[in-house]
Amino acid sequence: MAQATYSIDAVPTTETRSNTYRSVINFLKTYPYVLPAIIFFVGWQILPIYHALRLSFTDDRFLDQVPAHWIGLDNYREVIRDRVFWNGVGRAFIFTCIFVPGMIMIPLVIAVMLDRVQSRRMATFYRIVLLIPSMIPAPLIFVLWGWLYNNYIGPINYVLVDVLHLYDVRTQPQWLNDPHLVFISIAIMEWWWGLGYHTMFFLAGLASIPKDIFDAARVDGASEWRMFWGITIFRLLPVILVLMVIRFGTAMAVVDEYIIVGSFDKSRPTYTWTVYMYDTAFGGGSQFRGYAAAIGWMGALLMLVVVAGMFWLFRSRD
Amino acid sequence: MVASTPTVAGTEGRLASAIAIPDTSRGHRQKRRINWGTVGRHAVLMFFSLSVLLPLAWVIIRSIISLPDGTHNPIWPQNWADPWYQHYEWILKRRPEIRTNFRNSVYVSLLTVVTTTITSVLAGYALVHLRTPFKRVLTAVLVASLFFPTRVTAITGIFEVQRQLGFINKTWTLVFPYTALNVAICIFIMRGVFETVSKEILDAARVDGAGSLRLLLGILLPIIKNGIVVVIIVSFVAAWGEFLLALTLMNDGSKRTLPVFIATASGGVGGLLWPRIAAVYIMAILPGLFVFAFAQRWYTKGLQEGALKA
Repeated sequence: MAQATYSIDAVPTTETRSNTYRSVINFLKTYPYVLPAIIFFVGWQILPIYHALRLSFTDDRFLDQVPAHWIGLDNYREVIRDRVFWNGVGRAFIFTCIFVPGMIMIPLVIAVMLDRVQSRRMATFYRIVLLIPSMIPAPLIFVLWGWLYNNYIGPINYVLVDVLHLYDVRTQPQWLNDPHLVFISIAIMEWWWGLGYHTMFFLAGLASIPKDIFDAARVDGASEWRMFWGITIFRLLPVILVLMVIRFGTAMAVVDEYIIVGSFDKSRPTYTWTVYMYDTAFGGGSQFRGYAAAIGWMGALLMLVVVAGMFWLFRSRD
Repeated sequence: MVASTPTVAGTEGRLASAIAIPDTSRGHRQKRRINWGTVGRHAVLMFFSLSVLLPLAWVIIRSIISLPDGTHNPIWPQNWADPWYQHYEWILKRRPEIRTNFRNSVYVSLLTVVTTTITSVLAGYALVHLRTPFKRVLTAVLVASLFFPTRVTAITGIFEVQRQLGFINKTWTLVFPYTALNVAICIFIMRGVFETVSKEILDAARVDGAGSLRLLLGILLPIIKNGIVVVIIVSFVAAWGEFLLALTLMNDGSKRTLPVFIATASGGVGGLLWPRIAAVYIMAILPGLFVFAFAQRWYTKGLQEGALKA
């Protein structure tokens, strides 16, 4: 994470002109390069985030014609007492706990194996095939898996029921409707989607391990299994931790999948805090955006606390 | 050395370590161990490759079977579509709104790729190779934004910004939020790539009197081209498939993008029988796969060159 950026600022310069003049010139020379990024970033990230924050202190209902009133922290007090919100956070957290370990372990195993494949042609083949899912846009992945899991046309239950006779029509797994299965089903499709992309992270990490470490360990009589845990995993730890933090963030804030798979059905486990927030803001009723913004901010704050905790836990101690 | 490649994780790792420790008698033992490792490795990799390919093959089959077969679940149909492109033809001829949605997607995605690429190359350059003031602050803000669930928390705000600019239901305006949401990660990719460029090359050119823009366009551009391919692909895939914002900001069906159409169309109902929606699906994923097929060589190289070392 903390890669050292070398900075040119360290070059000693003889001070011929005033510092202010110098830095103004510097500013004018370099900021045109950053300006487009700043415009997009401020306009469509910072401003919306700020706007949502302001909204969360009001009783704004989008479809009411009444102007919004400032109601202070009332929305937040309400959110803290709101069962639906806490259930939603719990559901998102359950999904995260299922999703993140697989998203780390599966690509790690693939990368370690792919790294040892000797035939260059086969290695390229695997690499390309595994990267195909990452070329398919996310919502289309969910649509595809929605079909694969489908009772009527899906091949998965066809194989389980009609080919292998493991289940019959009444007992077949309801992949997306069974509350116990739905998160596992969604996790499987997300693993499928990230297979090649995350493998590339680990391959980049593996490539940076000097090979003579392994040679030295082998001379000392270390077994392959020990070298895997002692050297490979240890060296890949930074990559693993970064991926863990990033994927924790994306998994807690998943929303498209849940809307596509479970729509706005409150009785389903896919009705997490993100769907609740979207439903409140853009769904039926009067579109209570003030409250929705408070839900969004509470969720974001909870996530940031956990992320900060993870950073503190994983801080480098050397 | 090539012959004694060690095997590591998984089942064959255990197999290997069970046989391998006293390395005195090379030859026979050595050979057996390598064979098992290789077989196990390829079996695992093949398993994952097939798990990628089979679902896609299934959709392709779905899109070229006869309509009655589309309502049953056997994988192999009784009758194929006749001619095989029947459903594709039907979609293109009978459902002009799908064509409109397709065009919207192409339009928005290309715009987003252009703006994101230019923005992130310029910013990455400024953050690595120029004496930009407040470099640290800029970087910190970008990092922080990666961990903030902007799409969820700020969607009401994004809606408000777009509404005040009069951008609701204007498809091309999706480029602004799309670029904004992609730009942080793409700047990091470019920063990683720029950091691999040695400073000496630039210093030499500076001594020759090249300005910072000349440096970027004349000297750096050919060096960082693989990284640019990564940025293009990342931003293309993100924009081509974005769902939530396109759904929220466009409420007129003809202004929407293809993913919104597919995700909200209930297959099997009305004119959109299963094989036909499968055909729409194939049309929707093809552009991404084309881009990938065309650029995969630079893409995989770019990923390894430093794009992933953020």
